[in-house]
Amino acid sequence: MTHQIAIVGAGPSGCYLAQALLKARPELDVDLIDALPVPYGLVRYGVAADHQGTKAVARQFARIFERQGARFFGNVHVGRDVTLDELRSAYDAVVFAAGLAGDRRLGIANDDVDGVFGAGAITRALNGHPDAGPLPDLGVRPLIVGNGNVAIDIVRLLGKRADELSGSDLGVEQTRWLAESGITAITVLGRSTASQAKFDPVMVKELGKLTGVAIAIDKAGTADDERGKKLLDALAAIDGHGTGVRAIRFVFSHVPVSVETDAGRVTGLRCRTAEGDDTVIACTSIITAIGFEDTGDLPRADILAQADSDAPVYAAGWFRRGPRGTIPDNRADAQVLAADILADLDGTPAKGVRPVGAIFEGRPDVIDYQGWLRIEQRELAGADADRCRGKICDRAAMIEAARHQEETSP
Amino acid sequence: MKIAILYGTETGNAEMLAEDIGDALDADYEVSCTNLSDFPVTDFDPATFYLIVCSTYGDGELPASAQPFAEALAAGPASLAGIHFAIFGLGDSEYEETFNFGSKQLAELLTNHGAAQLGERPTHDASGADLAEDLALPWAKDAVALAESRFGKAA
Ligand SMILES: Cc1cc2nc3c(=O)[nH]c(=O)nc-3n(C[C@H](O)[C@H](O)[C@H](O)COP(=O)(O)OP(=O)(O)OC[C@H]3O[C@@H](n4cnc5c(N)ncnc54)[C@H](O)[C@@H]3O)c2cc1C
Ligand SMILES: Cc1cc2nc3c(=O)[nH]c(=O)nc-3n(C[C@H](O)[C@H](O)[C@H](O)COP(=O)(O)O)c2cc1C
Repeated sequence: MTHQIAIVGAGPSGCYLAQALLKARPELDVDLIDALPVPYGLVRYGVAADHQGTKAVARQFARIFERQGARFFGNVHVGRDVTLDELRSAYDAVVFAAGLAGDRRLGIANDDVDGVFGAGAITRALNGHPDAGPLPDLGVRPLIVGNGNVAIDIVRLLGKRADELSGSDLGVEQTRWLAESGITAITVLGRSTASQAKFDPVMVKELGKLTGVAIAIDKAGTADDERGKKLLDALAAIDGHGTGVRAIRFVFSHVPVSVETDAGRVTGLRCRTAEGDDTVIACTSIITAIGFEDTGDLPRADILAQADSDAPVYAAGWFRRGPRGTIPDNRADAQVLAADILADLDGTPAKGVRPVGAIFEGRPDVIDYQGWLRIEQRELAGADADRCRGKICDRAAMIEAARHQEETSP
Repeated sequence: MKIAILYGTETGNAEMLAEDIGDALDADYEVSCTNLSDFPVTDFDPATFYLIVCSTYGDGELPASAQPFAEALAAGPASLAGIHFAIFGLGDSEYEETFNFGSKQLAELLTNHGAAQLGERPTHDASGADLAEDLALPWAKDAVALAESRFGKAA
């Protein structure tokens, strides 16, 4: 009997793990289970629509299914459709690579009023995630809190003109939303100094290519390390860029104190400056891009404790490490974890209790890899003229597309 | 003539391509495929032809897996005289100013140490329409043919 491994979550960390496991032991049975009908996690639903080069990593992940023999069980929500106990008893090892999709809140007064949105929710909606609500009205002066690459992704997309989105996979609705936003000013605000911001300098520089914006950097200060200097150089390079209709202003060393409202609408963000002054930055909405946290969907603390014990339970990626690290970090991490898992399995006989995938049998609407290929085929065929893909954004429509061929061909 | 494929990567695209090239050549040659992170600069062998595949990161920098190799080579006096290589780059034209600088840097480093580059340095664009293997497999075949003429049939 060969060992059977279940990986919960088909995002980058789950996929890289399957890749590493099967590279070392091609005979293993590796099942990737995802709550969504489609694989690849944040490569599809986080990475920005205008960064197709980064999304191209999905080609590698496709090979896991096409050549390395992994199986995909999509539209299966672990914890609801299949219990953790069922998985543990059916598989020799269970790996949780379920990500961290919850938006961290500001933790200040009024941080939950209408008009305060999480970056995860916004980027999911921009990427056509089936569970995302419609894109909200941000008003003409949105403010983004946070100094990471996700904040840059959002300001870039909000700042782009329609012609700058060609070749992306931004959807029809999303494209209209951006075109009709009427945004005149975007503030990007961070607690730390500019030199301590988490932005990648290349991401900052990319803003200097936008044609419809006018960028200003407020008091970037100085840096005393190499990384900080590179970042300040990148910020200096875009300071004063452009004369477009959308003003982008970066503000550093402002600690949010409370969300200011009037008649239930956001009017500003009250902050404390480095000098200890109290100031209100006017805005019509707030997007928080200050990190991600557990959604509470799975018992994460319990799972992480089991992963630390001798139980054949493991955790990977953001679910294990917290919401830090890029796609390459997950790859490095997965390679280490694969070696650990294989070392543990070497000492234990395979359970071999039932044929692989048996616990999903008889469940309606489980999407396999072929089903995903049919969804993808329809998306590629349905792309608008200057789009590389026309994403299907509705779960029922995805399931229908996945089934389509089976129904039409006898 | 032995063939060693060396790759520098961060997200694994170069590794996948290196494996494809290996698969295409291993019926006819003795081929190895190694991450640059696992290749000591002292291992170069004049009887082996090197096919190198390398991506670009940051602002035109080498990918993480190629950095220790490049640092070791730059720091040491190692002479690569008599070593032949061909190189293929992976990059993304979104980064127009530093497009494929990683493979460019690596090629310069190797030639500065005396190695001989065979052929041009073709590049793949992650934002373009071509698949990397469609560009790289013909490149590898051509490079190997060039190398055979250099190495002579005896080798
Ligand atoms: C907006 C945004 C943009 C980003 N852009 C970049 C970028 O450009 N470049 C880069 O390198 N990194 C980027 N990152 C970071 C990168 O996306 C992460 O490092 C990576 O996706 C983490 O991988 P993961 O597999 O741990 O989690 P995820 O990608 O989140 O995958 C988790 C998977 O688990 C599934 N899942 C969750 N709960 C369950 C359940 N109960 N049952 C079954 N399945 C479940 C989810 O549907 C999902 O598919 C970005 C992140 C965000 C949020
Ligand atoms: C943060 C980041 C920076 C990048 N910088 C460059 C660059 O400066 N020049 C370039 O040509 N490509 C750049 N790329 C594109 C990569 O080289 C390209 O995606 C490649 O296919 C990655 O291959 P790999 O998976 O082997 O690392 C960058 C990609 C990322 C994610």
